[in-house]
Amino acid sequence: MIEVDKYTKLYGDTVAVQSLSFVVRPGDVLGLVGPNGAGKTTTLRALAGILQPTSGSIRISGLDLRTDPVAAKSRLAFIPDEPALFDYLTVTEHLHFVARLYGVRDAGPQIPVLLEELELTAKADALPTELSRGMKQKLAIACGLLHQPSALLLDEPLTGLDPVGIRRMKETIAARAREGTAVILSSHLLHLVEELCTRLLVIRRGEAVALGTIAEIVEARPELAGRSLEEMFIALTGSDAGQTATA
Amino acid sequence: MSASLERSVIAQQITTPDSAVVRTPSPASAMLFLYARTFSNRLKSQLTRIRSPRYVAAVIMGVLYIWWALFRNSRFGGGPLAMLARTDELVPVFAAFLLLSAARWWIFGAERSTLAFAPAEVQFLFPAPVSRRALIHAKLLRTQIAILLNTVIWSVLLRGDGGSLEGWRRGFSLWIVFSVLALHRLGASIVRANAIEHENAGRRRSVVPLLVFAGLVGAVVYGLLSQYEALKVAAEAGMRAVGNAILVALNQPIPSYALWPVRALLEPVFARSGALWITAAPIAFVILLLHYLWVVRLDASFEEAALEATQHRAERLQRFRTSQMGKSRSRGGKLARVPKLALTGRPEVAIAWKNVAAAMRGGAWRTQLIAFTLGLASLAIVTRSASARAGDVFLGVTMGWGAMLLFLGPLWMRFDLRLDLQRLPILKTMPLSGLQVVTAEIAGVTILHTLTVWSLMIVPLVMIILDPSLLTDSGLTIPILFSVALAVPVFNALMFAIQNGTALLFPAWVRLGAEARGFETMGQNLLTTGATTLVATVALVFPVGIGALTIWLSDVLDSPLGVWSVLLGTVLGCLILALEIWPLLIWLGTVFEKTDLSDVTSGN
Repeated sequence: MIEVDKYTKLYGDTVAVQSLSFVVRPGDVLGLVGPNGAGKTTTLRALAGILQPTSGSIRISGLDLRTDPVAAKSRLAFIPDEPALFDYLTVTEHLHFVARLYGVRDAGPQIPVLLEELELTAKADALPTELSRGMKQKLAIACGLLHQPSALLLDEPLTGLDPVGIRRMKETIAARAREGTAVILSSHLLHLVEELCTRLLVIRRGEAVALGTIAEIVEARPELAGRSLEEMFIALTGSDAGQTATA
Repeated sequence: MSASLERSVIAQQITTPDSAVVRTPSPASAMLFLYARTFSNRLKSQLTRIRSPRYVAAVIMGVLYIWWALFRNSRFGGGPLAMLARTDELVPVFAAFLLLSAARWWIFGAERSTLAFAPAEVQFLFPAPVSRRALIHAKLLRTQIAILLNTVIWSVLLRGDGGSLEGWRRGFSLWIVFSVLALHRLGASIVRANAIEHENAGRRRSVVPLLVFAGLVGAVVYGLLSQYEALKVAAEAGMRAVGNAILVALNQPIPSYALWPVRALLEPVFARSGALWITAAPIAFVILLLHYLWVVRLDASFEEAALEATQHRAERLQRFRTSQMGKSRSRGGKLARVPKLALTGRPEVAIAWKNVAAAMRGGAWRTQLIAFTLGLASLAIVTRSASARAGDVFLGVTMGWGAMLLFLGPLWMRFDLRLDLQRLPILKTMPLSGLQVVTAEIAGVTILHTLTVWSLMIVPLVMIILDPSLLTDSGLTIPILFSVALAVPVFNALMFAIQNGTALLFPAWVRLGAEARGFETMGQNLLTTGATTLVATVALVFPVGIGALTIWLSDVLDSPLGVWSVLLGTVLGCLILALEIWPLLIWLGTVFEKTDLSDVTSGN
């Protein structure tokens, strides 16, 4: 479970995220959407323990990320949009590294299964420089899944994947959610969000403008009834205001 | 300047009479604009850090240190290293040293090619209508920033020399030397890359420069070997006699001719008068010009050989050019082996292991260590077989080299936080405390560097094997050897803690990444080493004091330990030093936990 309570992040006088509160329960897939610069990556990075909140609290599986960061981090996985890998470790060695780091039990038999699931078996001994963008993304995801996190944070997880890879990735995310992982998925691909997510969090300029299932959002904003998710997104974030004014 | 550049770039776009007509590309002004703006924006970004008290303190300390290191002796001719420039007798020795140093670039390749392009440069410039030659020129100009700074530092350090040579003349001469070295390093790495990348065709193109260089080095080695007997006799008379014998050997016709280009390059720096400088400087300048033409032509041929001018190709070249001395895979595709990481156990070991793997695959550490150890063992056998005195002299040289390694090694070996801070988001998501991360990062390089320094022990070991009586008649030698072996890891831990601490405290100002730089940053490295040594000296006062006191007391009280009291003193000193390092690591751990992404990203 991921619990965020009044999370605020300031950079000097600039507000990146303002008093954000939400809960993601086991099995939930929360779609984090918003226009560029809305604070999605900042939020995900804070949830991953990369950024310190200016105020507010974040709890992963009941563990406070600020007061008990090591225990909290051992239960989560963050997969950034740009996979950052170690240049001199092979694909398999990356997984060995993660297994040791997170104290994964029975990692030995799990690693080949994960490599197979993510179609990395043929590249098991390759270095990151020898992998395509999509393969790197798959490796980053494999590293994130190996320790079976109870909270999974995905930032644009489908970037660089081919159609088969996209389908497999969607299945992987859905399977992890079914197994009880709380998932937060940030993406601009609204059809993906619609397909995979059980709830939505729409943020704009660091503030939540909508939170809940699509039905709950429509209930709170009846004027959105009957609209597509794209139209809802535009209405909620005011993304077309600038274009209308320019036109 | 940048504003006028910006105007000129824009002017080229708007003065075209017909907007549909293709505008004339101006790569030179665009590149100049890019680098000028990058430099000024980076400087501005770094200066804004001074608002933080930590950075203010660093500025004050830095200014005081630079004043102390460079200007404390204002007397004319009183530069800290001015005596080096007072005699031109050492020119052949320096020339031989430079030539043999350059051999490393030809054998292993340069650490970092100055032609390495940043990902953004690949993305924007490679597909742009910019000739490869224009790119090379821009890159060469960029190298000049480091070279000019280095020239200023060395001009100050070598200032004076009794008024025989004006500062600007020496500065100009130094600039030529550093520029030639940078160009030579670049040329060597391209030739080597060419030979590997294009196999037979590349080897054919590279054969002439390789033969020329091998011939020059061979001539110097021949000169030294031909005077072997004289060197052997000189070794009996001490270091000064050995130095003179080496000078005689290098001044023989064959090595002298071989060293002539390097000597000609160095002559203006050591010129005793303006008149001598006038005759020497043009020759050095011609050597610079020839190097420049060589590099430009080399790279053109290198690029012409490439059939694909696509982004993918550019990225491949980029990876190739930025590779360090060793390649991760052999030509047969075999990956450099690293120790296997057990899947269970303490998690921080994984970080240390990762850094060891990076050093083995990215820095060819193991290959170099083996070559280094075998070379030392061979020289130990040769010198000891020649005479006991020659063996002692070589032992002295090895000890000097070891001492230098202890101080310079942590500057070269950067497989620690200096590499990993660039991946701070990954480190931050790891389920480890700051103390665990910092300790693991420092431990990996400490182990590697300790093994490197310990490899020097092969020299006394070989000598003991050759003459076992050394074991019984050694007196203090054996206890000292044990003491050194014990003290090296603790001292290394201190030095790496200082280096990593600096990177962690001032990530916006410290250069991050694994690559050590070349000759063009020798002056900057000298200042950095000086500063690190000062901090280490402060840390060592108490441990060394306790160690010395123990040895003294043992001597005064006529302890039964005898000469082994040296080892006892070292043990106590190391314990005290470890007790000093531990709180430092705890503190750096908390600094790591508080380090924000924005602290790192804006500076690098």
